[in-house]
Amino acid sequence: MSVQPAGIESGDTAAAPAVPAFAIRNLTKMYGPVAAVDDVSLDIPQGAFLTLLGPSGSGKTTILMAIAGFIAPTSGEILREQKSITTLPPDKRNFGMVFQGYALFPHMTVEDNVWFPLRVRGVSKSQAAGRIGEALEMVQLGALAARLPTELSGGQQQRVALARALVFQPDLLLLDEPLSALDKKLRADLQWELKDLHRKLGTTFVYVTHDQEEALSMSDEIVILRDGRIEQSGDPLTLYERPATRFVADFLGKSNFLAGEVADREDGRFRYRIGGETFLQAGAASDAHVVMALRPEKLMVFNTRPDTANAMQGEIEQFNYYGANYHFKVTTSALGDVIVTVPAWRCEVEPRIGNRIWIGWEPDAAVVVADT
Amino acid sequence: MTEGKLTFGRCMVLGAAWTVLGFLVLPMVIIFPVSLTDQYYLSLPKEKLSLEHYEAFFTNEIWLSATFQSFVIATASTALAVLLGTLCAIGCWRISTRASDSVRSFMLVPIIVPTVVQALALYRFWIDLRLVDTYAGVILAHTLITIPYVVITVSASLARFDLRIEQAARNLGASISQTIRLVIVPRIMPGVLSGAIFAFTISFDEIVMVLFITSRKIYTLPKRIWNGIQDHLDPTIAAIATMLIVLTLALLLAELWLRQRRQRSNS
Repeated sequence: MSVQPAGIESGDTAAAPAVPAFAIRNLTKMYGPVAAVDDVSLDIPQGAFLTLLGPSGSGKTTILMAIAGFIAPTSGEILREQKSITTLPPDKRNFGMVFQGYALFPHMTVEDNVWFPLRVRGVSKSQAAGRIGEALEMVQLGALAARLPTELSGGQQQRVALARALVFQPDLLLLDEPLSALDKKLRADLQWELKDLHRKLGTTFVYVTHDQEEALSMSDEIVILRDGRIEQSGDPLTLYERPATRFVADFLGKSNFLAGEVADREDGRFRYRIGGETFLQAGAASDAHVVMALRPEKLMVFNTRPDTANAMQGEIEQFNYYGANYHFKVTTSALGDVIVTVPAWRCEVEPRIGNRIWIGWEPDAAVVVADT
Repeated sequence: MTEGKLTFGRCMVLGAAWTVLGFLVLPMVIIFPVSLTDQYYLSLPKEKLSLEHYEAFFTNEIWLSATFQSFVIATASTALAVLLGTLCAIGCWRISTRASDSVRSFMLVPIIVPTVVQALALYRFWIDLRLVDTYAGVILAHTLITIPYVVITVSASLARFDLRIEQAARNLGASISQTIRLVIVPRIMPGVLSGAIFAFTISFDEIVMVLFITSRKIYTLPKRIWNGIQDHLDPTIAAIATMLIVLTLALLLAELWLRQRRQRSNS
């Protein structure tokens, strides 16, 4: 990853300008009576790595296709530098796109695939040779220029698609689940590479995925979509630590949900009851009925009653060993089944089905979420 | 294919199959010795084998002119059918709605409707358009009946063409015409060529339409052969038939080869 296409400045990108480079305003796309995208507005700052995350059918790909120009919105606008590009045909937008399943031209060599965007802009192959070479070097495929796409592995094809989408210095790179067809190890490698590319080129990336780990590890900003609407958006840390709704807490990472009745309130914390037990929670509760999201890794396991603010006794109903972690399913009287993740190398309790153990957590381990 | 045991039932099936095959092919095969006859009427050679009827074809102005006319008509109608049929197939594939599916089915009507009925209708219509007994009239009529074959073969090669490849081309800055020229057509070329071969063969030996919509000016090869048979049993017809069979066989083999290549490139 040492060479970049000619003319692209390296190094860190300048602070985001006051005006977002791209913006979506009240985008709606109807298919018959069904709204695939329902009144979505979002800003895409220059140089951002923005991820649209959601389950299938949440409208994330529809939004991406609308930005690319393949789907005409039913209403709403797509803006570049505050000017509408909603009706501009896809070939006039100067956006690169990496498709799910690569979409390489099967009858062209790797080199000709990368030449294509320059070719349709009137650049001859000899003129383009330097830039093609640099783009292929950038994705470490210089040696395979003369191959046909069918002669490459999935990971290599994905790299060609990347080189092809970047060689003409697009204003925006759109990525539609680009890693979903690759095996886990290769996916992890390419995540590093994509992030590296983004940092070096400074190009704005809009990334679509249903893989929450991918979204967390790569993005500057994540937009979580649900049924065509934005559920919550923000940087990965905020979304993971402060999910606003039950849906976000469940979709981004795993969560245990504790639903209880507020018993009493103090300054900055409150107590709630579930099944006859009382627990302490930091924060404020607006209603009498509250739902807390509690991450499995923020729970701890003990052989004896711990001195944490909250503690419950339970029985290991099942456990999984992952090398790095144990995942315990602990059955408790008040909370039902609770999932606990413990680093395996310092697991205090004996991992055995039927073992009676204690679980404990602090008041700030859980967050109050809206129950939707 | 493993060789099974030669039971009675198997012998019956094999015998029946070969009989049917012989029944289909033998009449065509008999043409070949007839074309080498030394007699001046349609018969098997008596004294010796002779090429005089082949010579007669290549020296007779009437036969050569008819061949030329057929060739012009077949070439022109093939070009038109390939252009229109390919665009129709691409359009239907690209739009891909229920409406475009019905358009594609509707395109098959010229194959389904009996040629005589179509010929009659065209004759009536061509009179009004003053197209009877003109090159343009025959070329248009043949384009009409050959378009379905192009639509079928091109649609087949588009069926497994990923729509995202077309989107990728547009996204990378290619206009619609650049996309068709640089991405879609190279990919569907085997289908287009198969369609062209079908169109050419069908136009070259089509006679029903020609009999209806031409009179004295246009004489295609099939029409000459037809007239020749009615006048006297000139063995030149057998010579021509032999050459046509060889030509058609060559074209069909080419089509087969293209289809195999298409299947290979699809897999």
